[in-house]
Amino acid sequence: MKLYPTIGLEIHAELLTNSKVFCTCSAEFGGEPNSRCCPVCSGLPGTLPVLNAKAVEYIIKAGYIMNCEISRFTKWDRKNYFYPDLPKAYQISQMPRPVCLGGHVDVTVDGEQKTMRINRIHLEEDAGKLVHDDIERVSLADYNRCGIPLIEIVTEPDFHSAAEVIAFFEKIRLMLQYAGVCDGKLEQGSMRCDVNISLAEKDSDKLGTRTEVKNLNSTKAIQRAIEYEIYRQTELIENGERVVQETLHFNDATGETSSLRSKEDAHDYRYFPDPDIPPIIFTEEELAAIKADIPEMPEQRVARYTGEYGISAADAKVLTDSKRVSDLFENAVKAYNNPKPIGTFIVVELMRRINLGELDLDDMKFTAEDLAKLIELAETNKISKDNRKIILREMIESGKKPETIAEEQQLWIKEDNELLEKTINGIMEANPKAVEQYRNGETKVFGFLMGQCNKALKGAASPASIKAMLEEKLKG
Amino acid sequence: MDIKTIDHLCNLSKLNYTDESKEKVMGEMSAIIELMDTVKEFDVVYDDTKDNNSISYDEVRKDVAKPSFPTEKLLSNTQPSGNCYVVPKMVD
Amino acid sequence: MELKKQTLGSLREMLDTKQISAVELCKEYTDSIKAKNPDVLGYITVTDDEALKNAEKAQEIIDKGEAKALTGIPLAVKDNICTDGIRTTCASKMLENFVPPYDANVIEKLKAENYVLLGKTSMDEFAMGGSTQTSAFAKTRNPFDLTRVPGGSSGGSAAVVSAGIAPAALGSDTGGSIRQPASFCGVTGLKPTYGRVSRYGLVAFASSLDQIGPIANNAVDCGTILNVICGKDSRDATSANKPVEDFNAKVGKDIKGMKIALPKEFFADSTDDEVKSAVLAAAKKYEEMGATLVDCSMKSLKYAVSAYYLVASAEAASNLSRFDGIKYGLRGEGRTFDEMIRDSRTRGFGDEVKRRILLGNYALSSGYYDAYYLKALALKQQIIKEYNEIFENADVILTPTAPTVAYKIGEQETDPVKMYLADICTVTVNIASLPAISVPCGYNADGMPIGMSLVGRKWDEATLIQTADAFEKTFDRRYSEV
Repeated sequence: MKLYPTIGLEIHAELLTNSKVFCTCSAEFGGEPNSRCCPVCSGLPGTLPVLNAKAVEYIIKAGYIMNCEISRFTKWDRKNYFYPDLPKAYQISQMPRPVCLGGHVDVTVDGEQKTMRINRIHLEEDAGKLVHDDIERVSLADYNRCGIPLIEIVTEPDFHSAAEVIAFFEKIRLMLQYAGVCDGKLEQGSMRCDVNISLAEKDSDKLGTRTEVKNLNSTKAIQRAIEYEIYRQTELIENGERVVQETLHFNDATGETSSLRSKEDAHDYRYFPDPDIPPIIFTEEELAAIKADIPEMPEQRVARYTGEYGISAADAKVLTDSKRVSDLFENAVKAYNNPKPIGTFIVVELMRRINLGELDLDDMKFTAEDLAKLIELAETNKISKDNRKIILREMIESGKKPETIAEEQQLWIKEDNELLEKTINGIMEANPKAVEQYRNGETKVFGFLMGQCNKALKGAASPASIKAMLEEKLKG
Repeated sequence: MDIKTIDHLCNLSKLNYTDESKEKVMGEMSAIIELMDTVKEFDVVYDDTKDNNSISYDEVRKDVAKPSFPTEKLLSNTQPSGNCYVVPKMVD
Repeated sequence: MELKKQTLGSLREMLDTKQISAVELCKEYTDSIKAKNPDVLGYITVTDDEALKNAEKAQEIIDKGEAKALTGIPLAVKDNICTDGIRTTCASKMLENFVPPYDANVIEKLKAENYVLLGKTSMDEFAMGGSTQTSAFAKTRNPFDLTRVPGGSSGGSAAVVSAGIAPAALGSDTGGSIRQPASFCGVTGLKPTYGRVSRYGLVAFASSLDQIGPIANNAVDCGTILNVICGKDSRDATSANKPVEDFNAKVGKDIKGMKIALPKEFFADSTDDEVKSAVLAAAKKYEEMGATLVDCSMKSLKYAVSAYYLVASAEAASNLSRFDGIKYGLRGEGRTFDEMIRDSRTRGFGDEVKRRILLGNYALSSGYYDAYYLKALALKQQIIKEYNEIFENADVILTPTAPTVAYKIGEQETDPVKMYLADICTVTVNIASLPAISVPCGYNADGMPIGMSLVGRKWDEATLIQTADAFEKTFDRRYSEV
């Protein structure tokens, strides 16, 4: 008996608005406890929610990029339950009339393309945060996060492996970042994922009992939680035990899931339309304007990079896999219209610095224009290609302009023919055997001699001029 | 209206009744719900698109953040700890 | 000075012509509060010290010749309207010590006029009731007969105006809570169109029905206050963006040719004969003034009370969930969060509030939602439709405000079903978001006031005030003897 997992997702993403979704408090992350709060988001009596138009715009954009139908009529509902992170004792959400309905996103897993269907996307408010104090045996509630706008993306149960889920999650994350809708910062909880898993025999029309693992906030946690749940449920079924339908918490430390003490009466949220928030009717013009305002998505950029710029598909993927990198590339190309060397340099050199942890694109000391200048200097033979790396490291370090660094460290190509000739002569004298081989038709040694010259010249001459003179001299 | 229903409603409502007062409220609620039951005779289906209380998108609040409220004033009707609201510990 | 007979107009004139200073006027009222409130029990909190300070400030503005309509005018405010730094209890033990850190929008607007707040008036707990006998702090008595109820839920506001211990007051009306106590206490109360006045700072009972409005000695005074408190508020998305007009602009204009509809279901057997005949006599008077009376019908009225209680209680159950003792209000005890908030709520809320919460959760709970809550919303649409049909052939609708006059304390307020049914004349107005004004139109054999209600088209408060004023000018009004 081979058990086959079926997985559905609920992904929460915080929206990048300036103010909260129902009041004018800042929607920024963090802050001193209860410092980003007002009577509205703290649930004081008599206060009323007032919807933020930007949050609505953002969920519509999210809907469009996931190929959803946007409802022309949408409204908000109250989801009633008591919990200390929820000051009004109801969460404003959407039930029968979400902003986005239906939709799909394609993902590629192991070279195979699959279409994952979206059931709905709705707009709601985030809850506050609790900190637990073991000594005093109390929990402390901070409402700063209360009212941060959230979209909840609900998928159909179209997933059958952790890899599919991760591919989808990462793709959604990237698309939301590109759309300017969510910053995708998992470490700040900007995106969280609930995973519903059930097991059944493959091709069986009967679905197994499903469990829901809540609040997974990293791809690693998603992967581990899914793998653990598959393992746990398999064990249960194979031992003839029953899987209990329940809500689970994933423990990062142990890698195991455990039953969340269920919120009492969690199963009767008593949704009803929120009388404080009028429903909205959109015109076709309003929706068209929002749609037209959606920035280019990663897939479109890849197509442009490979088609217009002649960049390889692999490099184009690296460039677009992070919006920061892609934006840096775009801006550099704007400053110096020579995409291919800029792209290559970013893929090879800049990404290495990022991966080594030397460079943080969120906290960069130089600009895209500086980077463009660096590439331009090399492409126009003002500096050698090798010296780009040295200059880049210094730019990362000090934020100085590439020209300044080239000047300070004497890295300009001098085009000093005398020095060049002298150096080439010296190399040829030191390597008589190689010279001999070349002259006997073994032209592949040219690379070796070229390398020796480069090394000796330390970028003081352009590769083109070295090559020209070396060839000349070798002809004899 | 039976004990089970009233207990469920008390759970949803976060209210306690002593056994004695529960009997009384059960009687009262039965009478009230009997009155409410008259709506069942009325044979019309609700259509939320006809409520006529919707607004257009351009009437929705623009996204401008304003300074928040002084924390101390916000917490002036409770006894906070470290500027947080205090509740019995939620997890063990 | 005979305070009971003062109107905002007469006080304005006295202040502007310096016959009396704002401080002297304030003292007149605070003194009379001291004398009469122990009998009437209209106020929960009297703010006399602050009132005097505000009166001084108001006088400076009057002296500069910059007085506005309500500058230096003492007013009372229902205790479910938040006042910054002044206790706002909703007449509930839950909020006994709650001091809001902010003002309701209407209070900001009154402050901008330099009004003088006399105090916060009693009410049924969380505005749920029609007798003010569910108040945890002041079970207000009717100034016409202290053994009778003042009505409710804005019973305190109506009683203090009737007793002359405030010239006017703010109330709130969810299903008749301004009009019915105004009727019981023999004063005038206006429930504006839903959305006319911001609800920001009004502790919510039923958000889709609640509306703040004035209770005063006549219709024009109601208009004067409404002129100040109305308008779009960026903090209440349900407040309407309507131009601010002068609601008294049509006062004095001839009502000849006006069509007044009398829906027959409002004059059914359940309505007292004395009430019926007083309202019909008023209709006759309108006819004499040149108005045309129109017979009409509202078939779904028999479902209205149930539809109203289902919608209002569902919203209330949700609105009152925030009272858990954590952020404010009575804090219960318990080892766990659940125990603690149950204790807070069990001790903080009174019986009627608890019943409404139970009913609301019943109507919303799974398995019952479609049968009760959605059916109530369908009825709401039907009632709106029927009102629209009536207004196709009428300018205003005339009904009794309540089926009876004020009853004896302890007589019926302990029977929830009886209490709910007594709201039959007022609830449809809230369901349909319409404006309505209750005006004294007669007295029964015991000398208890009878009120009639004029219901207008949406946003047409001006016609209501005009029509009400036309009647008031012909009516021999009596004053309470307290």
